[in-house]
Amino acid sequence: MVEKISSPVSVSLSFDSKKRKVYPKWIIWNNRFYPIVKVGLHHTFRQGRTLFHVFSVASKSMFFRLVLNTENLHWRLEETSDGELS
Amino acid sequence: MHIDLNSCFATIEQQANPHLRGKPVAVAAYETSNGCILAASVEAKRYGIKTGMRVKDGKLLYSKLIVLSPDPWKYRSVHLKLKKLLSYYTYDVTAKSIDEFVLDISDFTKISPCQDKVRSFGIMCDVAREIKQRIRKEIGDWLTVSIGIAPNRFLAKVASNLHKPDGLEEVNKDNFLNCYLRLKLTDLPYIKMRNAARLGSMGIYSVLDFYHAPLWKLKVAFRSVNAYYWYLRLRGYEIDDIEFGRRSYGNSYALSKPLATPDELSPILSKLVTKMGARLRCAGYKARGVNISILYSDWSYWHKGASFENALFDSRDIYKKAFKILCQSAYQKPVRELAVSCFKLVKLDSLQLGLFENVDKKKDLVKAVDKINEYWGDPVCTGRFAITPARMFLTEPNSVPDRISFGGVKELEEFSLKV
Repeated sequence: MVEKISSPVSVSLSFDSKKRKVYPKWIIWNNRFYPIVKVGLHHTFRQGRTLFHVFSVASKSMFFRLVLNTENLHWRLEETSDGELS
Repeated sequence: MHIDLNSCFATIEQQANPHLRGKPVAVAAYETSNGCILAASVEAKRYGIKTGMRVKDGKLLYSKLIVLSPDPWKYRSVHLKLKKLLSYYTYDVTAKSIDEFVLDISDFTKISPCQDKVRSFGIMCDVAREIKQRIRKEIGDWLTVSIGIAPNRFLAKVASNLHKPDGLEEVNKDNFLNCYLRLKLTDLPYIKMRNAARLGSMGIYSVLDFYHAPLWKLKVAFRSVNAYYWYLRLRGYEIDDIEFGRRSYGNSYALSKPLATPDELSPILSKLVTKMGARLRCAGYKARGVNISILYSDWSYWHKGASFENALFDSRDIYKKAFKILCQSAYQKPVRELAVSCFKLVKLDSLQLGLFENVDKKKDLVKAVDKINEYWGDPVCTGRFAITPARMFLTEPNSVPDRISFGGVKELEEFSLKV
């Protein structure tokens, strides 16, 4: 089920200087720890002057849409899904 | 070379969310039962679910269909990544739509050491395979493209449609008759029911008939210069290598509840005009014409346009003209869809001074408001404004959402410039 939310979330972001890749490693949401197993897509968008980075990532059983506000470097969780019918 | 991203929006959603891969997914304008399906995943297409269907019809075909709302920035981002990757192969990359690109790589074979046709096709195929591989590796491992290679853009598009998904086909002087034999008339791009009927009236029922038809027959069928264009297209001549300039700007909205009177419609009209005006000025234009079109709930249609001596650039002035046109509609029926557009575009810098008002002052004011809106909102793409007409506050917050238009790439210019 796809669930639209907008709540602060703890994210660990890693940068691999050799591959020049950035990827979230794990998140903590609702006091639960979710290791990220796959980064599906990374894209950006602007809202006025602020640039946002969106990471669409998956843990073993869940999907998360993580949004990084580059103005304050805060993360928000905007969407979760278990890939099943809503 | 024509490159087509398979099931674009749906595949990108599956790319973003790995848990959706291998499942029937549809991206619809609205997730409600009457929402129109914009893209169906490869798996959904196997159940007969197609673009243009209603969500309820899609669910009738497959009850567990996963329906998602569109996320325009996700698709634009993939489009830009694709364009960047393809630009590596040639400077002549044309985006035909959000999911289609045309590459002129005729020079690619010229600089290669081999001159014979067979080997040069081999090189083209190698390039196509490399593009496919790089898309999977650098943009997304779930993304597939169908590639068509041919002497002209039209036949390259035909070739890319021959094998989907993940196809690679060529139409050349040796196999084009076989390809034509495999296709129906309506399989050809731009030939749908009306054109097929036109051709049918001259006894042309198949693509082979179309190819063999003499020019005079096509002239009678089409009654325009299109006859000659089709004659050339089917013979491999390039006539579609033209980029048409922008001639109008417009915005439309399908209303969630049926409003009928001009007063009820004015807040939505105000939002449409404000968004359109911002896009118009951002591109450096003003307009000498405004058009309103209305689709009523009973599927009847009304539209009216007006031209003016002075070009308009201030959204407030455009709104006044648009509202006046709206009031001229003789019908007061529930409205299903309201659209406003402006035409007769002229460059914004050619400013005619007015006798009765200080146009320079107005221009500066509008420029300042646009700057504030750009800084604190996103007027061009998502339609978020910091300063708006008070009338606009009467609209629902999610009305006139950000959308990617079908078929054209004109709106892509707006965000490509911004990113």
